[in-house]
Amino acid sequence: MKITNNKVYLGIGAVSIGLLGAVSLWARPPFTDAQVAEQQQELLDVVNKGRDLWHGSNPAMSTNGLACGNCHPDAAASNPNTFPKFVPQLAKVAPMREMINWCIVHPQAGKELDPTGSDMVALEAYAVYLYRGQKIEPGYTLPLPPDPVKSGVGYPHTPSGIGVDK
Amino acid sequence: MSDANELTRRRFLGLAGQAGLTTFAARAIGVNLGLVEVLSAETKNGVQPFSFAIITDSHLFSIDNHKFDKALADAVAQVNALTPAVDLVVYTGDIAQNGREDQLVKGKKILSQLKAPLKVIPGEHDWYLDMGKAWNGLFGKETWSFDHKGVHFIGLNSILVKDFWTGAGLTPLQRMSTMEMLESPIAGPWGVRDAQLEFLRKDVKKLSASQAVVIFTHSPLWDYYPRWNFQTEDAPQIREILSKFDHVTSLHGHVHQTIYNKFANISSAGALSTSWPWPYPPVKLDYPGSQMNQSDPANVKDGMGTQSVTFDASGGGKVAYEPFANSLTPFLQDGVKV
Repeated sequence: MKITNNKVYLGIGAVSIGLLGAVSLWARPPFTDAQVAEQQQELLDVVNKGRDLWHGSNPAMSTNGLACGNCHPDAAASNPNTFPKFVPQLAKVAPMREMINWCIVHPQAGKELDPTGSDMVALEAYAVYLYRGQKIEPGYTLPLPPDPVKSGVGYPHTPSGIGVDK
Repeated sequence: MSDANELTRRRFLGLAGQAGLTTFAARAIGVNLGLVEVLSAETKNGVQPFSFAIITDSHLFSIDNHKFDKALADAVAQVNALTPAVDLVVYTGDIAQNGREDQLVKGKKILSQLKAPLKVIPGEHDWYLDMGKAWNGLFGKETWSFDHKGVHFIGLNSILVKDFWTGAGLTPLQRMSTMEMLESPIAGPWGVRDAQLEFLRKDVKKLSASQAVVIFTHSPLWDYYPRWNFQTEDAPQIREILSKFDHVTSLHGHVHQTIYNKFANISSAGALSTSWPWPYPPVKLDYPGSQMNQSDPANVKDGMGTQSVTFDASGGGKVAYEPFANSLTPFLQDGVKV
């Protein structure tokens, strides 16, 4: 096939425009400061919801009064940075949300959550938030405590009551 | 497997892990090797060898037939089965989960099955619904001391916080809920406060330096992890008052785990709960071997249990952890000198 000069020029032009567009997109700040602040607040709202759920705000998660926080204060030893990993109770490699559901069904004798539902996302968000900055250690099996004093829990929160025994 | 068989199996695992099969076999025929050893020791300071047990942190709910009810009953059976029998049992706080009278009554009923006399101090879960009214009605004064076979025993209420509820307009239930959350920053640090410090000063004033002393508090008398109130705010004053003694043994609940520390003239040991184990907080320990093994969440009793303390004729004590399942490290298996 014969390639004419015109087609070469057109091709170079198209590539140049494409590159220019890509560079423009790359250079443009993705979000304004206000947008970033808004998105961060959305995250913190979900973290706060997760903190309440962690301490018993959804009665369906427990029939014996126990909540995640009984055994995992400050999400300690929940190890979100080690998942997915082999979970002996499940006999398979599983994400954290399946381990959360195992805890809800067994130690808490409650009803498991929709793995893709907003409550599960909030519980994960809370645990991950308290482990922020920690090294990702897939498969690690020993407890890896968060350092909430160093990482800071500093977001506003009002106690909502704990467990079903109110 | 029947409950009785399950208890026997766990008891076997716990004892085998705690002291090795030789000690277990010796106990099975009624001989405690440690006691045989100390009974031959020379008696000093009027201390006669004896042992007592510690049960703690049962966190009973109001729900009927809750699994924690059985855990406390198992603890009572375990202590009753100790050979030789203990002279007394001390409960170091948190019988109840939500401070309700029915929870405290249930705990008292289960604990009434103990063969040995019982002394009790409160925890924060027992206290903040009615500020100790029900607890005091059932268990008497929360501050006490007495002498037994040459050892001076002291019990203090270490979970007193400054008033955070009146100004905030919180109801008793909200106050209790705030105190229930281990990591809540709202309530602030616990302490024994001025009246009990004065009690302690007067109580030890006439005792000699060589007197063997055991002090019980719900929270530890050192800054283990203040964020979870693994501390007592006025512990420095307590330690100063007790500094006149050659040696003091401090025993506490609250932490739901094995933990040992030594500072100045005080040896300190934490107690296994009967309800659930807590993870170790992110702090560097002087005695990291005193951490028990990681508990298995699939084993409903792993990381829980009771403990017995044996005093020998020299006034020295030894804590033997009595886990429901095998969770002891080598540091803990032959007992911890306190």
